[in-house]
Amino acid sequence: MAPGRKPKSAGSALPSSTLVLDNGADTIKAGFVTVDDDMSNKAPRVIPNCIARDRHNKTYVGAELEKCKDFGEITFRRPVEKGFIVNWEAQKEIWDRAFFDDKAPQRCDPSTTRLVLAEQPNSLPALQTHCDQIVFEEYGFSSYYRGIGPSFNAYQDIQAIFHTPRTPDTIIDVPAEVILLIDSGYSHTTVTPILQGRPLHTAIRRLDVGGKLLTNHLTRLLSVRHFDMRNETYIVNEMKEAACYVSLDFKGDLDKTWKGTRGERRKDYATGGGIAKDYVLPDSHTRFHGIVRDHEPGAAARAMKSAVSTEDILTLRNERFSVPELLFNPTDIGLRQPGLADLVMQSLSVLPVGLWPGLLANIVVVGGNAKFVNFIQRLQVELLERVPDECVVRVARPEDPIVSTWLGAANFARHEHADRLAVTKQEYEEHGAAWVARKFALGLGVDTLR
Amino acid sequence: MNNFGVIEVASTATKTTPGWAYVPDTGPSLSATALQPKNRKRAARNTQPGLSLSDLTARQENKLRKDLEALNRDNQRDVNIPVPSSSRSSHKHTPTVRKILQSQKTFANHLDDYQALLALAESNPAAVVNNPLLFLNKPVVATSQAKSASPAPVREKGGSKRGQAAAKRAAVKAAAAAAAEEKEEEEEEEGRKRARQLAAEGEDVEMIDSPAAAPDEVEKLVETYPADGTILPAYNERPPAAHPGDDDPLLVSVVPSFPTDEELRSLMTAPPLSYMDSRAAFGEEGERYPIRVFCEMCGYWGRVKCMKCGVRVCGLDCLEGHREECVTRYGL
Repeated sequence: MAPGRKPKSAGSALPSSTLVLDNGADTIKAGFVTVDDDMSNKAPRVIPNCIARDRHNKTYVGAELEKCKDFGEITFRRPVEKGFIVNWEAQKEIWDRAFFDDKAPQRCDPSTTRLVLAEQPNSLPALQTHCDQIVFEEYGFSSYYRGIGPSFNAYQDIQAIFHTPRTPDTIIDVPAEVILLIDSGYSHTTVTPILQGRPLHTAIRRLDVGGKLLTNHLTRLLSVRHFDMRNETYIVNEMKEAACYVSLDFKGDLDKTWKGTRGERRKDYATGGGIAKDYVLPDSHTRFHGIVRDHEPGAAARAMKSAVSTEDILTLRNERFSVPELLFNPTDIGLRQPGLADLVMQSLSVLPVGLWPGLLANIVVVGGNAKFVNFIQRLQVELLERVPDECVVRVARPEDPIVSTWLGAANFARHEHADRLAVTKQEYEEHGAAWVARKFALGLGVDTLR
Repeated sequence: MNNFGVIEVASTATKTTPGWAYVPDTGPSLSATALQPKNRKRAARNTQPGLSLSDLTARQENKLRKDLEALNRDNQRDVNIPVPSSSRSSHKHTPTVRKILQSQKTFANHLDDYQALLALAESNPAAVVNNPLLFLNKPVVATSQAKSASPAPVREKGGSKRGQAAAKRAAVKAAAAAAAEEKEEEEEEEGRKRARQLAAEGEDVEMIDSPAAAPDEVEKLVETYPADGTILPAYNERPPAAHPGDDDPLLVSVVPSFPTDEELRSLMTAPPLSYMDSRAAFGEEGERYPIRVFCEMCGYWGRVKCMKCGVRVCGLDCLEGHREECVTRYGL
C-alpha cells in the first residue's frame, strides 16, 4: 500500500499543540501554538542558545544567562555553527532545560506535541539526518516538520509590513504570493525568493557576513585603536547593537570623522561632526551595561588622566558605520563576495525577468542585523541603482525582525500546509530517516496550490 | 640559489602556521622568488603579477586568510566548556542517538565529509549509489517533468542600454541552461535504463520517492479549483481608472512577459543547492569596482603604503603609529 493512501483514522490522535522552534545560532525563539489560539498578541520566548562561562568559572545554560550580571571575559559555547545545529550534546542540554525537565518553564510532553523547527537553507544532509533522528528517537515527538526559516515568513500578513493601502474587506492571502526574503542573522545573510510559500531553491544565495563577523570586526578595530577588547565579545556586541548604524553617505561620513593630516585641526573631528559618540563601558560594580552618550570633546582624555576615574569612555567614530558597511561591501575586509545588493541581483539573475517586478516590490528583511538604523533605506538605494528603471523597489522590515520567522512559523503551524508536510513518528519508524529527509526536501510541490 | 631544496610555499590550506614542503628545486620559480626576493627593499611593490590580486603579496594573502578565520570565531581563544552534568536520571539512548551525542565533529568536519562524498560520487558513482546522504543532489523525480526550453523573455527595444545587455546575458544563460538540461535529460534517461536493467536482474531497486500528496487528494482539489488555474493567478480586480496620459508614448513602460506555468513549476520544484553552491561568489565579470583600501590605524582611506610591509595608512601620523609595530615585527 502506498504510504499516502493510509486511512485518515491512523492520524486521528493529531496533536493539538505545536511547539514552534526557531533555533537560531544566537537565540532560540520558542512558543506553543494551538489551532484555536488568538495569534494577534502571540510572542515567543527568546532563549540565548549558548552555554556560557564567566570569569569566576560559573556556567550558565541557555536562559540562565539572565542571572548573569558580570559579562566581563565571558566565553560561549554555541551548539549552532554557521546556522546549523552541529553539537547535539550542548543543544540537547539547552533544550532539556527549556522544554523537557520537570521544572522547565515551557514544559511539554513530546508524545502529544508536534514540532515545527526552522532551519537555514542549504544545510548538509548529514546534519539534517542527525536532527531528524534526535527529534524522533531521543524525544519522540508525535509529529514533526523541519522547514527552511525564510519560507516560514511567507505565512504572515506581508502587506501589513509594507503598509500597503487596502480596503478592509481585502482577503489576506496566506502564504503570500510572492516575496523576496532577506534573512540577516548571526552566522550569515541569505536571500530567498518565495512563491506561494515555496522557496525557489535554485535562486537562494548566501553571503558569509553575519552579526558575529561584524562584532568580531568591531572588536578588532577597538583593540587596535583603544583598549584590548578581544575577550569582551559580549560587551562589544552590546556596543554594536547600541551604536552602529548603516551609513547612507559612506564617503561623506568617513571624511567627517577623519582627524586630518598632521597639524591640521578639522572642525568636524573636534566637535564629533554629529557622528562621534561616547560609549561608557560597564565597570561590573555599579553598571552592568554600557551607555551611549553624545560626544563630549575631551571627556575621554579627562577620564583617563584623573586618578580616581569613575568611568571608562570609548569614543566611537568611523567604527559606528564602517562595521555594518561590511554587509554591503564585504571586500573591505578582503572577503571576496558581492555585497548585499549584488547578492539580490545574483539571485534574481537565475530567475525569469517576468518575476523581477513582483519580487523587487516585496523585499522583506528579517534577522537581527535588520535592526541597524538605515539598513533598509541603504538597501533600497543600492537596489534602485541596479534594477531596470521601471521596477518599483520596496524594502521593509517587520516590527521585530528577530521574531518574525517564529511568527511566520506559528502561522504555518495552524495552516493546512503543516498537516500536509509533517511526518508522524509512526511514519518515521516505518520508512526511516532517509525517507523523511526526502519528503522534507520535496516540499509542498505545485500540484495542489493553496 | 642553494636553499637545500627547502622552499616555503604559500598554501591555501587552513593552517595557523606557514606550511613547509619539500619540492624539487628546478631553477628559479615564480612563487619562490616572490617569497624570497633577492632585493629586500620595497618588497611590497615588487610582487609577482598574477600571483593573486595585484595589490597583495603572498604574505598579505596569508594574513588576510588568518584574519577572516579569526573573524569567524565564537571566542577569541579556544575554550572548552563542558556541558554541566544534570541531576536528571538519564534514560537509555538508542545507538544512533548516542553516536550523535558523542560526536565532537565541527561544522568544518561535516563539510569536508560532504565534499569527500561528492567527490567520491563523481569518480565512482557505484560506491555511493545507496548512500542516503546524497539524496539532495539527485534530481527529484518531480522536477524531471515540465522542462521548458523557451528562450528568456527579451525586452522590447526602448529599454536602457544596461537592460539590453542584461537581457542578452540572460538569453545566453538560458541557451546554456537549455543545453545543459538536454544533456541532463539524456543522462537521466540513461539512469532510468540502468535502473530498469538492474531491476530486471533483481539486484537493486530504486527507492520510491515519497508522494507530494495523496492522489485522491489531488483529484479533490482539482475539482474545487478552475481547470485553467495558474500557479500565480492573474490580477482579477478592476484595473485603475483610465488616465489621459495612458497613450503617451513617453510614459509607456515595458512589462516583461510573465513566465509560463511550466517554467514556474520547474523553478518551484527544483531541489535545493548544496551548501557550497549557494555561497555567493563573484561571477565571470569579477569585482566590478576596485577594492577599497583603508588605513589600518584610523579607518580612513588608505592613501599611502608602508614601504616595508605594504600595509595602507592615511597619513604621516598613522604611518608613525604603524612603524612602531612594523619595526618590532620585521626589523628596520
